[in-house]
Amino acid sequence: MNELKWTDELGRKGHQVMLVGESIAMHCHHYNINLQKTLEDNLGAEGVRLLVKAAEVASYSGFRSLLKQYPRVTTLKSKLEMASVMFQNCGLGILHFQSIRAGGGLIVSPSNHHVTGWLAKHGRRKTAGCHFVRGWIAGALEAIYRQPLGHYTVEETGCKMKRDPECIFQVKAR
Amino acid sequence: MAIDGSKIIHAVMEGSRIRESKGIIPLFGVYLSLFSTQYYNQLSFDFEKRMGPRRQEEAKKLLIGAAHECGYATFEGIRNSTEWEHVVAPMIESKEDEIRGFAAVAVAFGWGDLEVAEIIPGEKLRIRVGGSYEARGFLDRYGRAKSEKCYMLRGVAAAFMDLSYGGDYPDGYSTFAAEEPMCRAKGDPFCEFVAAKSHRPRQDD
Repeated sequence: MNELKWTDELGRKGHQVMLVGESIAMHCHHYNINLQKTLEDNLGAEGVRLLVKAAEVASYSGFRSLLKQYPRVTTLKSKLEMASVMFQNCGLGILHFQSIRAGGGLIVSPSNHHVTGWLAKHGRRKTAGCHFVRGWIAGALEAIYRQPLGHYTVEETGCKMKRDPECIFQVKAR
Repeated sequence: MAIDGSKIIHAVMEGSRIRESKGIIPLFGVYLSLFSTQYYNQLSFDFEKRMGPRRQEEAKKLLIGAAHECGYATFEGIRNSTEWEHVVAPMIESKEDEIRGFAAVAVAFGWGDLEVAEIIPGEKLRIRVGGSYEARGFLDRYGRAKSEKCYMLRGVAAAFMDLSYGGDYPDGYSTFAAEEPMCRAKGDPFCEFVAAKSHRPRQDD
C-alpha cells in the first residue's frame, strides 16, 4: 500500500484540527457515549438509525477525500488496509476485514473506542451497541466500491458490549 | 503566569499520534477519538429535528446535558492526568488559570477558538468563540438559525465552572448552568457562553 502519511494528514488550520482536508474534533468516550445513550433513550430505533447514518455520511465523505488524495491506492486489499489504518489512527479501534466482496462480507473488531467507552461508563448491555462502527464501515465500503450512500447495510451479530468475545459485523448490499 | 495555549496544542497533537495496541488513544486521562465535525453536527441537529417542535426544548436540554456531564467527567480526568501535570499545571497559579487551561485544551481538541473573556471567581464565566464547529456546521447545512446552536460548548462552559468553583468532584456537578446569548448560527459576530450559578436544585438539595 502507498503509506498513509499520517503526520502530513493530521494537522491544524488556524484553530481547526484537520484530517485529510476535513475538519475534525477530538472527543472522548464520555461525550461519544453520552450522545449515543441520549439518542437511544429518547428515540429508540430511530435514534440508532440516526447514529448509523451520521457515521456513514461522515465516513463516506472522509474516505472519498482520502482515496482522491492517494490515487495510487487502487487494489481492494490496499484500500481495506487503508481503512483499517485510518480507523486505528483515529483512536476508533481495530477492524479486521475478513472476507469482503462487492456484495458484502464479514468484519471483526476485537476492540473499539465505543466498546471501551460504553463498558467504562455503563457496563454490560443486553443488545449490540456499536452503531457508530456499523455506519463507519458502511460509509467506508461505499466509498471504496464507488457505490452511493445507503448501498450497504451493516448488522452487528456479536458485540463486546454484551460480553461476546468480539464484535462481528455482517455487510450486505441492499 | 499566562497559559501558553501553543504548548497545550503541541502536547495534544503529539499525544494524539500515540495509540496503544487496541487502537485506543489514551490521552489526558480519557480515551480520545478523532472524527469529523460533520458527524457531531448531523447527530445533534438531526436529533433535535426528530424530536419534533413540541420536544425541541427538551432536545436542547438533553444535548446540553450530555455535553455538561461529559465536560465535567472529561476535564476532571484531564486535570488529574500526567499530561496536565507536566504541561499545564506549571502554568497555573489560580483557579482562573485552571479555567483558562481547560479552554486551551478545548481549543487543542478542535472545538473552536475559545477565548476566556471574563471570570468573576465563583460567580460567572464568559467565553467567546469565533469559530465554533457547531455554529459553522449549522450555517453550512441549514442557513441562519432562529436560536443558538452550540449545545456542546454551552454544556462544557458550565462544566468548567462546576469543576473550579462547584466543590468536590462529583458533588459539584450542575452547580452552574450556561446560556449562549450570542451565536454565529443566528447571525451574531461570535458565539458567547455565560456560565453562572444554576437555579436548578441539585440532587442533594
